[in-house]
Amino acid sequence: MSIRVLSPVSGLAAPLSEVPDPVFSQEMVGPGVAVKPNGGSACAVAPVDGTMSTLHPHAFVVTTDDGSRAVLVHLGIDTVKMEGAGFAPHVVKGERVRAGQKIVTWNPSEVEQQGYSSVCPVVALEVGRQALSDVTDDAGVSAGDPLFTVDS
Amino acid sequence: MAEDKAAAILAALGGKGNIVEIEPCITRLRCEIEDGSKVDEAALKTAGAHGVMQQGTVVQVVVGPEADTIASDIEDLL
Repeated sequence: MSIRVLSPVSGLAAPLSEVPDPVFSQEMVGPGVAVKPNGGSACAVAPVDGTMSTLHPHAFVVTTDDGSRAVLVHLGIDTVKMEGAGFAPHVVKGERVRAGQKIVTWNPSEVEQQGYSSVCPVVALEVGRQALSDVTDDAGVSAGDPLFTVDS
Repeated sequence: MAEDKAAAILAALGGKGNIVEIEPCITRLRCEIEDGSKVDEAALKTAGAHGVMQQGTVVQVVVGPEADTIASDIEDLL
Protein backbone atom coordinates (compact mmCIF):
# COMPACT_ATOMS: atom_id res chain seq x y z
CA MET A 1 0.00 0.00 0.00
CA SER A 2 1.10 3.55 -0.53
CA ILE A 3 0.08 6.84 0.99
CA ARG A 4 -0.51 10.00 -0.94
CA VAL A 5 0.95 13.00 0.86
CA LEU A 6 -0.79 16.34 0.26
CA SER A 7 0.72 19.79 0.28
CA PRO A 8 -0.12 21.53 3.56
CA VAL A 9 0.09 24.97 1.96
CA SER A 10 -0.40 26.72 -1.36
CA GLY A 11 2.81 27.83 -3.00
CA LEU A 12 5.73 26.61 -5.05
CA ALA A 13 7.00 23.06 -4.52
CA ALA A 14 10.79 22.75 -4.54
CA PRO A 15 13.45 20.15 -3.69
CA LEU A 16 14.15 19.70 0.02
CA SER A 17 17.81 20.47 -0.75
CA GLU A 18 16.85 24.16 -1.13
CA VAL A 19 15.77 24.48 2.52
CA PRO A 20 18.21 26.63 4.56
CA ASP A 21 18.51 24.09 7.40
CA PRO A 22 20.80 21.05 7.10
CA VAL A 23 18.39 18.87 9.08
CA PHE A 24 16.03 19.09 6.13
CA SER A 25 18.33 19.81 3.17
CA GLN A 26 20.52 16.80 4.06
CA GLU A 27 17.45 14.65 4.70
CA MET A 28 18.63 13.81 8.24
CA VAL A 29 15.11 12.93 9.36
CA GLY A 30 13.83 11.70 6.01
CA PRO A 31 13.11 12.61 2.39
CA GLY A 32 10.35 14.92 1.23
CA VAL A 33 9.52 18.12 -0.58
CA ALA A 34 9.67 21.79 0.40
CA VAL A 35 6.86 24.21 -0.39
CA LYS A 36 7.54 27.94 -0.56
CA PRO A 37 4.18 29.31 0.55
CA ASN A 38 2.27 32.15 -1.02
CA GLY A 39 2.08 35.25 1.17
CA GLY A 40 -0.80 36.24 3.41
CA SER A 41 -2.75 34.55 6.16
CA ALA A 42 -3.53 30.92 5.37
CA CYS A 43 -4.44 27.66 7.02
CA ALA A 44 -1.99 24.76 6.78
CA VAL A 45 -3.77 21.44 6.26
CA ALA A 46 -2.99 17.86 7.28
CA PRO A 47 -0.89 16.02 4.65
CA VAL A 48 -2.33 12.56 5.41
CA ASP A 49 -5.07 10.84 7.42
CA GLY A 50 -3.92 9.82 10.87
CA THR A 51 -3.26 10.98 14.40
CA MET A 52 -1.66 14.27 15.40
CA SER A 53 1.27 12.64 17.20
CA THR A 54 3.25 15.83 17.76
CA LEU A 55 1.88 19.35 17.69
CA HIS A 56 3.80 22.56 18.17
CA PRO A 57 2.44 25.90 16.96
CA HIS A 58 5.00 26.01 14.15
CA ALA A 59 5.25 22.32 13.26
CA PHE A 60 3.37 19.05 13.51
CA VAL A 61 3.61 15.34 12.78
CA VAL A 62 0.73 13.16 11.57
CA THR A 63 1.20 9.42 12.10
CA THR A 64 -0.80 7.07 9.86
CA ASP A 65 -3.37 4.80 11.47
CA ASP A 66 -1.25 1.66 11.18
CA GLY A 67 1.66 3.54 12.74
CA SER A 68 3.93 2.69 9.83
CA ARG A 69 4.51 6.20 8.53
CA ALA A 70 4.72 9.69 9.94
CA VAL A 71 4.77 12.95 8.01
CA LEU A 72 6.30 16.12 9.42
CA VAL A 73 5.17 19.59 8.36
CA HIS A 74 7.42 22.43 9.50
CA LEU A 75 6.00 25.94 8.97
CA GLY A 76 9.05 28.02 8.21
CA ILE A 77 12.63 27.56 9.38
CA ASP A 78 13.81 28.26 12.95
CA THR A 79 10.24 29.38 13.66
CA VAL A 80 10.43 27.67 17.07
CA LYS A 81 12.05 30.99 18.08
CA MET A 82 8.75 32.78 17.42
CA GLU A 83 7.41 30.87 20.43
CA GLY A 84 4.01 30.32 18.90
CA ALA A 85 3.27 33.98 18.16
CA GLY A 86 1.30 34.19 14.92
CA PHE A 87 0.43 30.48 14.84
CA ALA A 88 -3.10 29.37 15.78
CA PRO A 89 -3.59 25.56 15.95
CA HIS A 90 -7.13 24.23 15.41
CA VAL A 91 -6.53 20.72 16.74
CA VAL A 92 -4.88 19.16 19.79
CA LYS A 93 -2.16 16.55 20.15
CA GLY A 94 -3.57 13.03 19.85
CA GLU A 95 -6.55 14.10 17.77
CA ARG A 96 -7.60 12.14 14.68
CA VAL A 97 -7.26 14.24 11.54
CA ARG A 98 -8.20 13.76 7.91
CA ALA A 99 -5.93 14.66 4.98
CA GLY A 100 -6.79 18.21 3.97
CA GLN A 101 -8.19 19.15 7.40
CA LYS A 102 -7.25 22.62 8.62
CA ILE A 103 -4.54 22.37 11.28
CA VAL A 104 -2.79 25.71 11.88
CA THR A 105 -3.60 29.25 10.76
CA TRP A 106 -0.47 31.32 10.17
CA ASN A 107 0.89 34.05 7.94
CA PRO A 108 4.03 33.29 5.89
CA SER A 109 4.46 37.01 5.11
CA GLU A 110 4.72 37.80 8.83
CA VAL A 111 7.24 34.99 9.29
CA GLU A 112 9.38 36.54 6.54
CA GLN A 113 8.97 40.00 8.10
CA GLN A 114 10.36 38.59 11.36
CA GLY A 115 13.45 37.51 9.45
CA TYR A 116 12.77 33.80 9.07
CA SER A 117 12.34 31.71 5.95
CA SER A 118 8.70 30.69 5.52
CA VAL A 119 9.52 27.61 3.45
CA CYS A 120 7.69 24.49 4.63
CA PRO A 121 9.51 21.16 4.60
CA VAL A 122 7.12 18.21 4.25
CA VAL A 123 9.06 15.12 5.32
CA ALA A 124 8.34 11.39 5.37
CA LEU A 125 10.07 10.65 8.66
CA GLU A 126 12.66 7.88 8.91
CA VAL A 127 12.21 6.26 5.53
CA GLY A 128 14.70 5.93 2.68
CA ARG A 129 14.52 8.15 -0.36
CA GLN A 130 13.46 5.13 -2.46
CA ALA A 131 10.18 5.03 -0.50
CA LEU A 132 9.08 8.20 -2.33
CA SER A 133 7.47 8.33 -5.76
CA ASP A 134 5.30 10.67 -7.84
CA VAL A 135 7.28 13.59 -6.42
CA THR A 136 6.23 17.15 -7.33
CA ASP A 137 9.09 19.53 -6.56
CA ASP A 138 9.11 22.10 -9.33
CA ALA A 139 5.54 23.34 -9.73
CA GLY A 140 2.91 25.53 -8.16
CA VAL A 141 0.61 23.64 -5.79
CA SER A 142 -2.52 24.44 -3.82
CA ALA A 143 -3.06 23.26 -0.25
CA GLY A 144 -4.45 19.73 -0.56
CA ASP A 145 -2.74 18.94 -3.89
CA PRO A 146 -0.61 15.76 -3.92
CA LEU A 147 3.11 16.36 -3.28
CA PHE A 148 4.46 12.80 -3.26
CA THR A 149 3.57 9.20 -2.53
CA VAL A 150 5.28 7.19 0.19
CA ASP A 151 5.38 3.39 0.34
CA SER A 152 4.07 1.90 3.54
CA MET B 1 15.57 1.42 25.77
CA ALA B 2 14.56 5.04 25.42
CA GLU B 3 16.10 5.80 28.79
CA ASP B 4 19.36 4.15 27.65
CA LYS B 5 19.38 6.39 24.59
CA ALA B 6 18.80 9.47 26.74
CA ALA B 7 21.65 8.42 29.05
CA ALA B 8 23.99 7.81 26.12
CA ILE B 9 23.18 11.20 24.58
CA LEU B 10 23.63 12.92 27.94
CA ALA B 11 27.03 11.26 28.40
CA ALA B 12 28.10 12.26 24.87
CA LEU B 13 27.16 15.87 25.64
CA GLY B 14 29.69 15.83 28.47
CA GLY B 15 27.44 14.64 31.29
CA LYS B 16 24.85 16.46 33.32
CA GLY B 17 27.34 18.97 34.71
CA ASN B 18 27.87 20.26 31.17
CA ILE B 19 24.20 20.91 30.38
CA VAL B 20 22.80 24.43 30.64
CA GLU B 21 19.53 23.78 28.82
CA ILE B 22 17.96 21.17 26.58
CA GLU B 23 14.94 21.98 24.48
CA PRO B 24 13.24 19.58 22.05
CA CYS B 25 11.99 20.80 18.69
CA ILE B 26 10.15 18.11 16.70
CA THR B 27 13.22 16.48 15.19
CA ARG B 28 16.11 17.71 17.27
CA LEU B 29 17.41 18.56 20.71
CA ARG B 30 18.64 22.12 20.99
CA CYS B 31 21.24 21.97 23.73
CA GLU B 32 23.09 24.79 25.42
CA ILE B 33 26.18 23.50 27.14
CA GLU B 34 29.00 24.82 29.34
CA ASP B 35 32.02 23.44 27.51
CA GLY B 36 31.73 22.69 23.80
CA SER B 37 34.96 20.71 23.77
CA LYS B 38 33.35 17.99 25.91
CA VAL B 39 30.87 17.09 23.19
CA ASP B 40 31.61 13.75 21.55
CA GLU B 41 29.99 13.84 18.12
CA ALA B 42 30.88 10.23 17.27
CA ALA B 43 29.34 9.04 20.52
CA LEU B 44 26.18 11.05 19.80
CA LYS B 45 25.86 9.28 16.45
CA THR B 46 26.49 5.91 18.10
CA ALA B 47 23.69 6.82 20.52
CA GLY B 48 21.35 7.18 17.57
CA ALA B 49 21.71 10.79 16.40
CA HIS B 50 21.11 11.25 12.66
CA GLY B 51 23.26 14.32 12.69
CA VAL B 52 25.00 16.80 14.97
CA MET B 53 25.46 20.53 14.41
CA GLN B 54 27.64 22.41 16.84
CA GLN B 55 28.38 26.11 17.05
CA GLY B 56 30.38 26.79 20.19
CA THR B 57 28.20 26.10 23.20
CA VAL B 58 25.05 25.42 21.18
CA VAL B 59 24.66 21.86 19.94
CA GLN B 60 21.77 20.57 17.88
CA VAL B 61 21.38 16.82 18.06
CA VAL B 62 19.09 15.48 15.33
CA VAL B 63 17.25 12.50 16.78
CA GLY B 64 14.06 12.34 14.72
CA PRO B 65 10.46 12.51 15.89
CA GLU B 66 11.19 11.06 19.33
CA ALA B 67 12.99 14.28 20.31
CA ASP B 68 10.26 15.24 22.80
CA THR B 69 10.48 11.86 24.56
CA ILE B 70 14.27 11.84 24.67
CA ALA B 71 14.37 15.40 26.01
CA SER B 72 12.01 14.55 28.86
CA ASP B 73 14.02 11.39 29.61
CA ILE B 74 17.18 13.52 29.77
CA GLU B 75 15.42 16.03 32.03
CA ASP B 76 14.64 13.12 34.36
CA LEU B 77 18.36 12.32 34.51
CA LEU B 78 19.47 15.87 35.31
